[in-house]
Amino acid sequence: MPAVVARPSPTVRMLQLRRSAAAPARLWRRSLRLRTVVITVVLSAVALAAVGGVISYSIARGLFTDRLNQELTVSARATVAAQSVLNGATSTDQTALENLQLAAIQQVHDAATPSGIAWLRSPGQVDPLALPVATSPDGADQVVTEQIRQAVESSGTQQYQSVALTATNGQLHPGVVVGDVLQLGGTQYELYLIYDLQDVQSTLDFVQRTLLIGGLVLLLLIGAVTTAVVTMVITPLKQAAKVSEELAAGRLEQRIPERGEDVVATLARSFNRMADGLQRQITQLANLSRVQQRFVSDVSHELRTPLTTIRLASDVLYDARDRVDAPTARSAELLRDQVQRFEALLADLLEISRMDAQAADVAGEPTNLVDLVRESIESLDGLARDTGTPVELVAPGGHVEIEVDPRRIARIVRNLLANAIEHGEARPVVVTVDSSERAVGIGVRDHGAGMPAADAERVFDRFWRADPSRQRRIGGTGLGLAISLEDALLHRGTLEVWSRTGDGTNFVLTLPRGPLDSAAPGPVPLVPADARSQTRDEAPVAVPERAGVGS
Amino acid sequence: MAQRILVVDDDTALAEMVGIVLRADGFEPVLCPDGAKALAAFRAAKPDLVLLDLMLPGSDGIEVCRQIRGESGVPIIMLTAKSDTADVVNGLESGADDYIVKPFDPKELVARIRTRLRPTQAVSGQRLRIGDLTVDAAGHEVLRGEQPIQLTPLEFDLLHTLASKPHQVFTREMLLEQVWGYRYKADTRLVNVHVQRLRAKVEVDPENPRIVTTVRGVGYRAGAAV
Repeated sequence: MPAVVARPSPTVRMLQLRRSAAAPARLWRRSLRLRTVVITVVLSAVALAAVGGVISYSIARGLFTDRLNQELTVSARATVAAQSVLNGATSTDQTALENLQLAAIQQVHDAATPSGIAWLRSPGQVDPLALPVATSPDGADQVVTEQIRQAVESSGTQQYQSVALTATNGQLHPGVVVGDVLQLGGTQYELYLIYDLQDVQSTLDFVQRTLLIGGLVLLLLIGAVTTAVVTMVITPLKQAAKVSEELAAGRLEQRIPERGEDVVATLARSFNRMADGLQRQITQLANLSRVQQRFVSDVSHELRTPLTTIRLASDVLYDARDRVDAPTARSAELLRDQVQRFEALLADLLEISRMDAQAADVAGEPTNLVDLVRESIESLDGLARDTGTPVELVAPGGHVEIEVDPRRIARIVRNLLANAIEHGEARPVVVTVDSSERAVGIGVRDHGAGMPAADAERVFDRFWRADPSRQRRIGGTGLGLAISLEDALLHRGTLEVWSRTGDGTNFVLTLPRGPLDSAAPGPVPLVPADARSQTRDEAPVAVPERAGVGS
Repeated sequence: MAQRILVVDDDTALAEMVGIVLRADGFEPVLCPDGAKALAAFRAAKPDLVLLDLMLPGSDGIEVCRQIRGESGVPIIMLTAKSDTADVVNGLESGADDYIVKPFDPKELVARIRTRLRPTQAVSGQRLRIGDLTVDAAGHEVLRGEQPIQLTPLEFDLLHTLASKPHQVFTREMLLEQVWGYRYKADTRLVNVHVQRLRAKVEVDPENPRIVTTVRGVGYRAGAAV
């Protein structure tokens, strides 16, 4: 035999995925607190980010402008100092010129503190008195772009440009190149002072970090405060919900603690007043019901004991009827019959008052309804034979066991059968048992005289008789169908009737299969197939008002 | 000699009428209208069977039932006005063998009494083994080793019925017919309650029965489930 490994099918896995994705969504839908806190925090974060961005930008701008202005001033002074050195040139000797240049650079260093200096000659100069290109440190002129050189050359005044400097450790630092022109004799030179703004950047970084940390702390604080506030508001609501659940579950003494004078306390007080009222009403009703049940039980005992005595006495008299004269013997017979009828009536009355008091308990056990129906048919064999009525059982389904109280269901079936035989005019009675996925149905169909719709509507009424003058073979109490309907409702089922003058009657009992199933739609149709094909004189289908479940 | 039946019922008319019915069927009724005196009447009359009203004033029927059961295994049939209450189960649990609901058919009453008074169908004098028990039908006793176990006649009947066919599963309906004499569907609570009582006496561990085992959804059988 091949091993069968249980593995979730793709559909199942997809469902699981969807479910795992649905869990946070459900939490989101269910938790007002989560929703409020998340929305508050997100909106605060956006606001803080905007404010922080503006602050950070203006600080950055302020820092940069200050520093730039300072460097521009310093650079201008340094350039003036260098120019004045150059202006004092007397010799055209190369060495003297170079010394002059060194002195000028020294002047620059005295006036300013650039991280780099580039001394370049403007292009297109033909003067033999050439000062060498000097850079400090080496390669400092790399950051001097063509752009700033052109600007300096064309304007002949101070210019600046922001650049990225590569520090000794390889990091890029923000920097600014300030350029100006120097004149030596007829030759134009350009002096570029390079400033490293890393310290400004550090200050800015620090400010931004502080802003960020401050913002985050503020955000956390906002989250915490929102949580606290929402909790404060929600807790009484939650408590009210919990107490409502408790009340609904029948723990009527549950109340909300009343504290303070605010709106929450008012809610609690109103709620508790409502609960008090409910409790009073329910207790009253429960007491009434208890009194009623107690009464039923007392009547039961008090009536049954004398009735037993009468019953025993009438049976003794009945057994002795051969030994007495005819009128006495007949009296004994009548006495016995009527005592039996009285007994049946009392039993039915007690049963229906138990049902009215909702004191009837359903002792459910797994029952095969086909077997139950077969037994019921057998138990009425005598009556069927006496009237010459053939009873047929058709059971295409219903061979499963469902949880019902077999005593009650058998009582319904016997009742319907007895009715069908009684009114069936010796024509066949067909009992159908069938089941669907969710319900099991039992139909009892006779082909007797049937009744008009107005009568069919009333068959479940207590003590109602279709035709009072009609002779009855079996001593019905007039409560049989009413009890049957109650029995069906106790099982969350339905009991319905279809009838048409001349076409007979069909009773259909439908019972849910499981505790979660409902009785509708039933597997046994209410309108019989043989009656459906005929269109003449279509009487409306009578549905009892009280069969609220399904139908 | 006529079999003596103690009728404990506070309703004198009913008690008298039951007496008339029983006398007509050849029994010797002894009437006791007071539950409080029932035990004394029981000791004095030494009846073969007790008919007991459940709803006695004063000392209630269930208490009387327990007292009588404490002294004797004599068959007890309860008379009750209600069939669907906890009273019936309480009555059965306190030791009643059977119950009959008012109003009842006199023939039904007599049939119930006769079933309880008939001797166990112990035609085969042989001893039956069930688990570590020996059921001696002739001697009407049950032994664990050499130790006799006290059973009421009904409990003995129940155990004997199960032990006579150790491989057969008995449905509750079969037991109702064979042990209680019911010909039609009756209250299966009778069987459940008495199996519990029987287990309490014969099982080493009633929580984990080995003598009378339950076959789920069917009924009971003697010996361990296979």
